[in-house]
Amino acid sequence: MANPTVAEAWVEAPLKKLMEDAGLISGVLLYPTGRAVGQFGFSNAADVMSICALTSAINASARELGRQLDGKPFYELHHAGAERQVFMARATAGGQEFLFVGVFDAESSLGMVEIYFAEFQKALEKLRPEAPQTRILKPGDFEGELNRSLDALFGPIGKR
Amino acid sequence: MRAVTQVVSQLSRVPGVVAAMVVGAADGLIVETSAMMGATEGPDTRKHTAALAAYLYSKVTRASSAARLGKPSFMRLEAEQGQICVVGARDVVLVTIVSPDANLGRVRLDMMTAAKGE
Repeated sequence: MANPTVAEAWVEAPLKKLMEDAGLISGVLLYPTGRAVGQFGFSNAADVMSICALTSAINASARELGRQLDGKPFYELHHAGAERQVFMARATAGGQEFLFVGVFDAESSLGMVEIYFAEFQKALEKLRPEAPQTRILKPGDFEGELNRSLDALFGPIGKR
Repeated sequence: MRAVTQVVSQLSRVPGVVAAMVVGAADGLIVETSAMMGATEGPDTRKHTAALAAYLYSKVTRASSAARLGKPSFMRLEAEQGQICVVGARDVVLVTIVSPDANLGRVRLDMMTAAKGE
């Protein structure tokens, strides 16, 4: 499988290790705002754009649902399809929150993905740069942020 | 198979068994587990062992099938400080962590009996 493509170099090694150890088919690491930080298994920017938007929305809904039902937000979400399964979880590094969504099949298992995601989370915390990598986002600039991160992952539009 | 709590309880009482678990065969998640007898346990020791043992058993099943040997009946992994035994039972696998001096014949018999639901 091809190596991950990343918008921030420090996440490449942990993302590659997670991909290989957990046997994931594809995955995207993003900020809760929907800006992609790294991905593997995708060759099309439009797919990553959709996944970022949907993951961001699902996280917001699941978080609110968790608050309403349990008084606190959910941390993980797992959906088992007929052939493929989706694992979605939050990770933090130095106070900065990330979302990860990964797809796996019967070659792996939820237990395996959970183990290696916990290691991934530790690696993020250890490797995080001292200086923040994110710029202050303008409210409502979701599309602009998303496009800038996709440019970093797949190259500018027209060259993708 | 009998109630998972009963299976785990019975297997964990076999001499030399450090821990007994019933684990989901497909997801590798713990269904029922005993405490780890006399072993220093990290926060995720059992969770990790369960997921990796179920994963390994699924790969062994494929290898056995590829070699036209049918389903594996008993899997034993021998390590420096003990052994891991796994037996499949439909949708779950029985996993035991066993000390090096355990009576392996008794462990094997009890695990296979439990898997058959006798």
